[in-house]
Amino acid sequence: MLLLYVLIAEWLFFYFAGTTVNRRGVTVGFGTLDRQFDILRHSCEIGLLALALTPVIITAGIDLSVGSLLGLCAILFGKFWHDGGLPIPIAATLALGCGALGGALNAALITALRLPPLIVTLGTYSLFRGLAEAITRGSVTYTNFPEGFLFIGQERWLGLPAQAWLFFAVAIGVWVLVHRMTFGRSFRAIGFSPEGARYAGLPVDRHIALAYILAGLIAALAAIIYTARLGQAKADAGTGYELFAITAVVLGGTSIFGGRGSVTGTLLGVAAIAVLKSGLASLPVVMRMNAAEEMSGVLTGALLLLALTAGVLPRLWSQRRARHAAVPKTLPTS
Amino acid sequence: MKSLLRTFLAAALTLSVASGAFAAAASSKLVVAFLPKSKGNAYFISCKAGAEKAAKELGVELLFDGPTDSNAAKQNEIVENWITLGVDVIAVAAENKEGISTALRKAQRAGIKVVTYDADAMPDARSFFVNQATPEGIGHALMDDAARLLNGEGDFAMIVATLTAANQREWQKHIEARLKEKYPKMKLVAVRPCDDLKDKAQSEATAMMSANPNLKLIMAICSPGVPGAAEAVKQAGKTGKVKVIGLGLPNENRRYVHEGVTDTVILWNTGDLGYLTIHAGVALAKGDLKPGAKSFKAGSLGSFAVQGDNILLGKPFAFNKGNIDQFNF
Repeated sequence: MLLLYVLIAEWLFFYFAGTTVNRRGVTVGFGTLDRQFDILRHSCEIGLLALALTPVIITAGIDLSVGSLLGLCAILFGKFWHDGGLPIPIAATLALGCGALGGALNAALITALRLPPLIVTLGTYSLFRGLAEAITRGSVTYTNFPEGFLFIGQERWLGLPAQAWLFFAVAIGVWVLVHRMTFGRSFRAIGFSPEGARYAGLPVDRHIALAYILAGLIAALAAIIYTARLGQAKADAGTGYELFAITAVVLGGTSIFGGRGSVTGTLLGVAAIAVLKSGLASLPVVMRMNAAEEMSGVLTGALLLLALTAGVLPRLWSQRRARHAAVPKTLPTS
Repeated sequence: MKSLLRTFLAAALTLSVASGAFAAAASSKLVVAFLPKSKGNAYFISCKAGAEKAAKELGVELLFDGPTDSNAAKQNEIVENWITLGVDVIAVAAENKEGISTALRKAQRAGIKVVTYDADAMPDARSFFVNQATPEGIGHALMDDAARLLNGEGDFAMIVATLTAANQREWQKHIEARLKEKYPKMKLVAVRPCDDLKDKAQSEATAMMSANPNLKLIMAICSPGVPGAAEAVKQAGKTGKVKVIGLGLPNENRRYVHEGVTDTVILWNTGDLGYLTIHAGVALAKGDLKPGAKSFKAGSLGSFAVQGDNILLGKPFAFNKGNIDQFNF
């Protein structure tokens, strides 16, 4: 709930501070509808990765490879279409399949070999990016995609940026999975105590595998949206996105130790980061300092640390109070 | 929780009034936004210095922002931000031709004037490209400088990046054409690739000197090739006997230029590139520069030729012992 207030305050602040009237008498900046749509457009890919990571983190896992997998799927999609001569829908379906395969590789290493997710996905983080760079030798960029495909990333459909509809659909899907299906309860149980979940008869490995495969699939969808937005598929697509996505998930109240978390929290986290980033870039003061990107880095970090601190302080205080209350009783009276 | 919310709102409103005042003060000037490939790159910082000078002369406000690394996606986001901020002119060095063009077309539809510099976008996504150097200009500058150093006589060799790269082939073509046309007593005895590696350039240069005892000059047309060749000449103890020139950046050649191993490093004046770009953008916004113009006058730098939709920065710039310390990139 606190995060919702932060988001509203953030938005109002930028609305008043970042909206101006320019020389030609036109209202410009943060308060324009165009800017709001840009924010939505720019947060779809990181938002999708954050949605992908939410179930994974609830199971006490982590997936550092989603950003690299985005890059790899973007390249494969471009290759299927450009070099393979396949129509866009088939190339996209194949790319989604490759994303799921990438997720399945993570899942297999984590569940079958019982390797820690952090290490496995650190490995695939390098592997997927490396493959993307190897396929293109670091220099090939796929461009010249047809208009109809670019529509998904650049135009509006039913009043909103077209890709936002895909994003919302995935958000609803993941929400149903985590909050309305037995899977979600199972994810939480696994995150809380994997051994306990196993003794309770839950198919732990299968459910963990599902979370990682789903993450791979969503990363591939993000890759397609990214390609449509920029009109290019290049090996550096989505570099560093996994860290923004993890930040959004944790900011949204999902515990990095697993067992607890919500999809709405993740969405609020994504929005809080996106509004902060875009809002800062529209503040005249920040613009004149040419430091929008650096400041958004600093403030995103500060926001995360503050949220984490605000999360643990009440518990610390109550523990302390309890200790203080307990001390006199244990001391000898004489 | 309520009081927390109220504190947030109060803080937000106070700060907004403060920044609102800043914004209002600036909006009376023409705003020109200048986008480099990456903003920490010394090459673009030196372009920015020229851009700032032009902005000051013209009385316009200059915004300078770019990705901290060369990232096409971030370039697009920055341009889209500038569109909603309603700047008047956007000047771009494109990291990716196709990718950035989407955002630039959107800017043009919003009534913003777009020029490119250093690296062009798609022609329909901008009005003019400020072209820093034509292949012909580079080829002639290098060949003329080699002839000047050898008094138009003697053997020389070339180090290229690869034998196939399009820009290298193009430059080599113009160098050889100039040689044939103007310097009959000079002879190109070898052309070797260095794969854009300094070490390889060094070993190739060493091999060239032992294979051709009469070699008087090595010309490197890829930037790692110039310091590589200079190191080879220095280690062979042939400083002054075998001269080194080439296409490169001042910083990586500074030491050899001061030691007298390398005579000239050819590139373009990056400050002038920024200066000309801002002048062109502002003239475009004010209606003083229109498509089809044949020449363009940019402040203290005088007149520049316009070829189609390319504004030509003109002759490459030669960095030598006398001026290299004025440049840092």
